[in-house]
Amino acid sequence: MVKSFAPTTLAEALKLRKAHGLTLYTGGTDLMVEAKEDASYLFLHKIPELKEIKQDAQYIRFGAACTFSDLIDHPLTPKILKEACGQIAAPAIRNIGSIGGNIGNGSPKADSALIFMVTDSLVRLVCEDGERMLPLKEFYLGRKKLALRRDEIIAEVLIPRQNLDNYYYTKVGARNALAISRVAFAGILDVRDGVIRHCATAFGAVSDVILRPAEIDAMLTGKTLTQAKALRQDYLAAIDQVIVPIRGRVGVEYRKDVCLNLVRDFLDVNGI
Amino acid sequence: MSVFNLNGKEVNYAGSPAGRLLDVLRGEWQMTGTKCGCKEGECGACAVIIDGKLTNSCLVAMGSLEGANVTTIEGYRETQRFAALDKAFEAVSAVQCGFCIPGMVLAAECLLSANPHPTEDEIREGISGNICRCTGYGPIIKAIDMAAKEGDGLW
Repeated sequence: MVKSFAPTTLAEALKLRKAHGLTLYTGGTDLMVEAKEDASYLFLHKIPELKEIKQDAQYIRFGAACTFSDLIDHPLTPKILKEACGQIAAPAIRNIGSIGGNIGNGSPKADSALIFMVTDSLVRLVCEDGERMLPLKEFYLGRKKLALRRDEIIAEVLIPRQNLDNYYYTKVGARNALAISRVAFAGILDVRDGVIRHCATAFGAVSDVILRPAEIDAMLTGKTLTQAKALRQDYLAAIDQVIVPIRGRVGVEYRKDVCLNLVRDFLDVNGI
Repeated sequence: MSVFNLNGKEVNYAGSPAGRLLDVLRGEWQMTGTKCGCKEGECGACAVIIDGKLTNSCLVAMGSLEGANVTTIEGYRETQRFAALDKAFEAVSAVQCGFCIPGMVLAAECLLSANPHPTEDEIREGISGNICRCTGYGPIIKAIDMAAKEGDGLW
């Protein structure tokens, strides 16, 4: 029996989720490509608690049902995230596609998820019995595999408040609009008084999950730009090791070359 | 059962909540102004306006529409704004085969209602999800620009 529900409060949604499981539906931009006739949906786009954007002392918090257009229009959205959202598909998709769906679909090509990865964001997962916070990196278990329990809903994505001004973002697609990433790369370098306070990179559309080689990026943290320059070859060699593209529509060698070129450019523009 | 507003009239839908809005509009309600191009959100031919926002109707499940306001080209054509766009599209011969035009016109409406005086780049961005396989983008962009100028005050 096909049954769907469109609750207007989170409490109601969690109750329905626990009782019936259901397929979580916010924008429908991925789900409706398949448009399974026998799908039972739990529509989440009418729940105000999932549409909020706010900040506290530690985080900027985005409700999971926020659309890409919501993020582009909001003053709290960091520039790197606005830029990535602005390159997703086209207005009609950005108007309904949501960040919760982008993450929950589990694709390594998800463009907003790449930014949430490079910023070491957390997801807040809620169920009737409580809630838990998980680093997004731990939320992805594998291709299309998530650490989401059958009674849970992604409620929020939390970006730690940090200096994101000096960022590098490139999406490589076959065209400007309506393009699925062939490779996407995001890098953040926080340099103060000549010292790298924080370095972070993430690679989309390469592996089963978005790659976030934090242990390699740590090589550059705490270093002066001159010291970092001396480490450049070692750093690139380490990145080269972790970029192991899975087979896809776009060639493996091409994607690997593009990734490494983008990292080189990220270092070049920062004088490393 | 979902109840929503379609072109200013309340409608009741008792079919599957997983059904596509596009299929219901065309198949069940014979509103064929909304075109079906790709069924995966990549062409914009099926664009409608839902709660003021341009949306591809192929990607909308019927069950998500409870309480929504939906405008298709059939409803929009009754407006003064449509008349301004219609006149401009005609003036510059922006319509070739015509298949993409209902979506283009609704994309233009959403663009102009948010930004009544768009630059050429902003027009291109506004219709970036609408594909014209006659490749007649130049005249379409010109027509939207002309409608914005000659219909000044409508948006």
